[in-house]
Amino acid sequence: MALLLAALLLPDGPAPAQPLPLPPPPPAPPQQPAQARPPLVAELSQTRVEISTGFSGTDVLVFGATERLLGPGGDDILVVAQSPPEPMVVRRRVNVLGFWINGPSARFRQVPGFYLLTGTRPLRELLSEEERAAKRLGLDNLPLASTGVQDPAYHEALLRLKQDAMLWHEEDEAIQISGARLFRARLPLPATVATGDFRVEVLLVRDGRVMARQELGFRVERVGAAARIADVAEQDPVIYGLACILLAALAGWLGSVLFRRG
Amino acid sequence: MQVYLPIAEMSVDALLLLGIGFGVGWLSGLFGVGGGFLLTPLLILIGIPAPVAVASGANQTLGASVSGLIAQWRRGNVDPRMGLVLLAGGFVGSALGVQLFAWLRRQGQVDLAVAVFYVVVLGSVGGLMVRESVRAILRRRRRGTAPARLHAHLWMHGLPFKLRFRKSRLYISVIPPLLIGLMIGVLSAVMGVGGGFMLVPAMIYLLGMPTAVVIGTSLFQVVFVAANVTLLQAVSTGSVDIVLTLLLLVGGVAGAQFGASMGTRLRGEETRFLLGLLVLGVALSLLWGLVATPDSLFAIGPIPS
Repeated sequence: MALLLAALLLPDGPAPAQPLPLPPPPPAPPQQPAQARPPLVAELSQTRVEISTGFSGTDVLVFGATERLLGPGGDDILVVAQSPPEPMVVRRRVNVLGFWINGPSARFRQVPGFYLLTGTRPLRELLSEEERAAKRLGLDNLPLASTGVQDPAYHEALLRLKQDAMLWHEEDEAIQISGARLFRARLPLPATVATGDFRVEVLLVRDGRVMARQELGFRVERVGAAARIADVAEQDPVIYGLACILLAALAGWLGSVLFRRG
Repeated sequence: MQVYLPIAEMSVDALLLLGIGFGVGWLSGLFGVGGGFLLTPLLILIGIPAPVAVASGANQTLGASVSGLIAQWRRGNVDPRMGLVLLAGGFVGSALGVQLFAWLRRQGQVDLAVAVFYVVVLGSVGGLMVRESVRAILRRRRRGTAPARLHAHLWMHGLPFKLRFRKSRLYISVIPPLLIGLMIGVLSAVMGVGGGFMLVPAMIYLLGMPTAVVIGTSLFQVVFVAANVTLLQAVSTGSVDIVLTLLLLVGGVAGAQFGASMGTRLRGEETRFLLGLLVLGVALSLLWGLVATPDSLFAIGPIPS
């Protein structure tokens, strides 16, 4: 939905932050102020993602324009999005007497719940290995320090399981370019997305170097009934527990009354 | 239709939850048990985290059993004195069980513990029920009538602190029902069940209660122990999801009515035989989950506080 909307809006020049004078060159996208001409302007389709009771995942769109031409022979764009890091544990399953149980574990202190990296071209073609490592770009360069068992297999398992869960993406879907100046990337947030402040970095890459960057952000938060329930459960667990008992008892009793009459 | 569960922090198909609620409710109405032992594994199967499945399962069991309790109470099928003795044990047991559960969660072994509890408890109860009911059916075929003996006199009936339970026509020590209540309380907290499927046979075979008051009295215990577990889980693990509970209940209450009307047409032994088979089936499928080689040798999860 968000994708469609933004796609429709995009050619008409949606709302970048500043109010803009009309651009003189007709083929150019309208985002470029006449004098300043920033090399890169990017924007998000929304700065707030609301998780209400009906939430089943959504798409956030990163879009923008560049001063020079994009695409083969020209500039390239990289988009990196991630959610606030959280601690995670990776456990190895071991077979004890024929049963599979959770065995040794490695604890990762800072794991982004959601990570997406995409570009107009594959990351490897855009930046050298040193450059990628220095800028910590790509899943292989995520700063994942762990305590507990030190074994690269745990690190690999974390990468694989997060990707299987559709929470970490690297170049699953390339950035779309239109008119050699407009770009558009989709951030697919699944229904299980974590709440918090997401960081989106848009990088302009030219000749193997990052020429410009823009930081954007959006917030994922629970709203409405879902937010209230989670708040009460967290802040007043006794009241919440009593309310659960009463509601369940009431629902059970009401149901039996209704069905006896019907 | 997707619905977001605020505590499980995920969205699931509301129709799927209603359907599960209906199916479990139907079976619970048919057999006169809460159905928690089916519900919790099903919830885990569709991807609900085990702690939320267990805590919300207990909450659902409470709601699902209330209407049954009211109906049984009206018919005078509840032995309040026996119910209170069982309940006293049940409160202590569920408090212990919730502590055990929180500890297992910190150890990262909740899923294993829940599965092992299910396999052991359901396997033995299901096996016993099937064996006993088959014997009863065979005996009836051979002799035409069931034996008139009320109950077997076991060693435990010689224990002190005897109390008269008029509705149950028993004069026995309070220690066995207290212990049974305690055990059911622990199981209720760890497995997210009311424990009716264990309580009913325990009351029949261990305490020797007459079948007429067994279901009502077990519902009495189940309702209050499940309420206790709900409260304790909400406080100590914060994993009761009321949206999940209510969706399951809506389906469950409807299903229970259909099940109950069908259940009256079945004989006691046949009901127990079918219930035993069902319990065994659940145990076997969970056992398979424990021994089958997992898709991934690794599992990731949040670090519980």
